[in-house]
Amino acid sequence: MSSATKPSVGYLTIWVWLIVLLGVGVALLAAPVSKTLAVTLIFTVASVKAFLVLRHYMHVRHQPLMIYVIIGVPVLLAIALTLVLIPDIAFR
Amino acid sequence: MSSVAIAEHGDAESREFTAQPLGRIGVWWFLASEIMVFGGLIGSYILSRVAAGGWAAERAHVNTRIAIINTIVLVTSSFTIVKAHAAAEADNRGQARRFMLLTVILGCMFLCFKGYEYSIEIEHGFTPATSLFWSFYYTMTGLHGLHVLIGIIINLSLFLLAGGAAWPRIKHRVEYAGLYWHFVDVVWIFLFPLLYLA
Repeated sequence: MSSATKPSVGYLTIWVWLIVLLGVGVALLAAPVSKTLAVTLIFTVASVKAFLVLRHYMHVRHQPLMIYVIIGVPVLLAIALTLVLIPDIAFR
Repeated sequence: MSSVAIAEHGDAESREFTAQPLGRIGVWWFLASEIMVFGGLIGSYILSRVAAGGWAAERAHVNTRIAIINTIVLVTSSFTIVKAHAAAEADNRGQARRFMLLTVILGCMFLCFKGYEYSIEIEHGFTPATSLFWSFYYTMTGLHGLHVLIGIIINLSLFLLAGGAAWPRIKHRVEYAGLYWHFVDVVWIFLFPLLYLA
């Protein structure tokens, strides 16, 4: 592996974190909190897992700005598309 | 791009103006289009679910236990493919091939578990025609499964090619296969809570 993409945290450590976070996400189902809070936390945990894969396994942090733009634009579009339509669905 | 980098990636796949191998940029562009495919599908699911009031009754019939096992399998395969990438970068062909084969096996395990899960659900009468939830469920997990199958074919092809004289020419493609495989993992990371937990 080139020095530019040498992992600062071991791949095995990241795998352990992903498994631990999976456990946390599943455990939140039984947590004594409101449904809304549980769902929010479950998706927060999922986002952290995705971030770990992107950062440490896909080496996104070593990519140039161009890659962030290529990936960031469709992500923002997909989120925006959903968000702008939610009021039409929820408050019909 | 340095002459060393060009030698590694081949003239046809490297250009000065990007300072990045074109193959890598091509994979990222492809993943961007995939984000729109899955993003549109997930967005439609969320909107339909909000409109339908939650689908709590339907969601109670999905098999969370098998999905948890499958998540562990897929996350582990992400670990094995990144190890294959690291081994390929270090020019350790034997280790790269071993990890690629492990990734293929784990991918096949994922599909087997998914197939078993489908069989249980269909046996209980939950087919794509049962309701909108099940239609979304089969579409999203089916499309994801198709991506896993394509990933398996790519990794298996690389595993076989890496055993021959083509290795110096194709070793950097392990990274591209890895990017695709990790993307498939990230999609599942969001499908799992959407369909099984939330």
